[in-house]
Amino acid sequence: MLFPKKYQSIIIALILIITSIIILSLNVGRPGGTGFLRKLVLEVATPLENIVDSSIECVNSMWERYIFLVGLEEKNRVLEKKVASLTKEVNYHREMYLEGMRLKKLLALRESVDYFTVAARVIGRSRASVFKTILINMGTTDGVEMGSPVLTDEGIIGRIIETSWNVSRVLLLTDYNSNVDALIQESRAYGLLQGHGSEGCVLKHVRRSEKIQLGDKVISSGMAGIFPKGLLLGTVKRVEKKKYGLFQEIEVSPTVDFSKLEEVLVILSDEVNEK
Amino acid sequence: MIYYFVLPVFSLVLIVFQTTVLDLFFLCKIEFELSLILVVYAGFHLDIMKGGVLSFILGFFLDCITGSMTGLFTFIYVLIFSISRIVSSRVYLEGIAFIMGFTFICVFSEGIITVLVYKLICGVDMYSDVLRVFFPQALVASVLSPALFSIFERLEVLLNVGETR
Repeated sequence: MLFPKKYQSIIIALILIITSIIILSLNVGRPGGTGFLRKLVLEVATPLENIVDSSIECVNSMWERYIFLVGLEEKNRVLEKKVASLTKEVNYHREMYLEGMRLKKLLALRESVDYFTVAARVIGRSRASVFKTILINMGTTDGVEMGSPVLTDEGIIGRIIETSWNVSRVLLLTDYNSNVDALIQESRAYGLLQGHGSEGCVLKHVRRSEKIQLGDKVISSGMAGIFPKGLLLGTVKRVEKKKYGLFQEIEVSPTVDFSKLEEVLVILSDEVNEK
Repeated sequence: MIYYFVLPVFSLVLIVFQTTVLDLFFLCKIEFELSLILVVYAGFHLDIMKGGVLSFILGFFLDCITGSMTGLFTFIYVLIFSISRIVSSRVYLEGIAFIMGFTFICVFSEGIITVLVYKLICGVDMYSDVLRVFFPQALVASVLSPALFSIFERLEVLLNVGETR
């Protein structure tokens, strides 16, 4: 060693202190200057810092996200409840609106029909394919009688075939047992509209000579005394004239969609409502 | 010899760890100087050459990474190392209270020197930071120093870099 062992520690310490003071004083002389070693340290340290920072950032964001999610779960639960409640409310109002619209149409129909009528709600329908009937919430106590015609704003749907005090059964036009005296609005040709199940109805006994076209309207003729004259029953969807025979075959599509019935109007009697 | 090759890498990693991870541990409220406690420990346990170079490099890296005036921490670290070294030859070092007290003095002195240097050289008034920043910093460092000394002792044994007196 260059120095005596006794003073070695002091001399090394002094060298280091003096060196650091020299470095300090040199940098005081040129503020803002970056020496080569300092640049080197920065260059080496920056990627290292980036790695550490990104790791910390990653852990930090995961942690924050977790904490955020904990809060979010509760918030989400509250919001879901609120959404469910509001959806229910909106559905209720939408239903009320639609019901209102339907009742408005029914009321308009009631105003237009010159008979005593009562509005009824559909409370049940036969699911079987053969019998086409529905149940309504009006019975004999409301004046509903056997054979009373039942209609909507779209046209006739059928007639009452069974009544109790508060409930009645309606035989729909499409039931095989349904027969309605009808006439074709354009040609004024008479016929008998018979139910044909899920295929709709057929108009029977229309003479071959009658000119029937697709889309012609079929209305009640008022002949049998059950249905008032002029109420819409359906439209012609197929006409077939066979080579022989007196009549032509006509398929009629009912104007009413029976699967969507909710409110109906029952004509109580054929007495004219004076209003 | 390998000590001197590993030292810069180790020092750099330590300083980066100190300025990134440790800052987070203390929620960026207190700047905890692990490197300074290591310098104090080096003054007590390492020989003049190893400890001196360690202090010099740690101080220099801290200067570079914290953006302070180059040479400021280098000077302070070497100074504190030298004082620790002088004290270690005259005082019984094993007491926890002594380690805590001495670490407190060193860390607080570092703050005082920084304030004075900035006042003398740059004319910047940092006196308000003495109680607000450096006092809590010295307090935390002194509280944690016995535990850190214990860890450094184990590392010293593991790496076999201790002074052969």
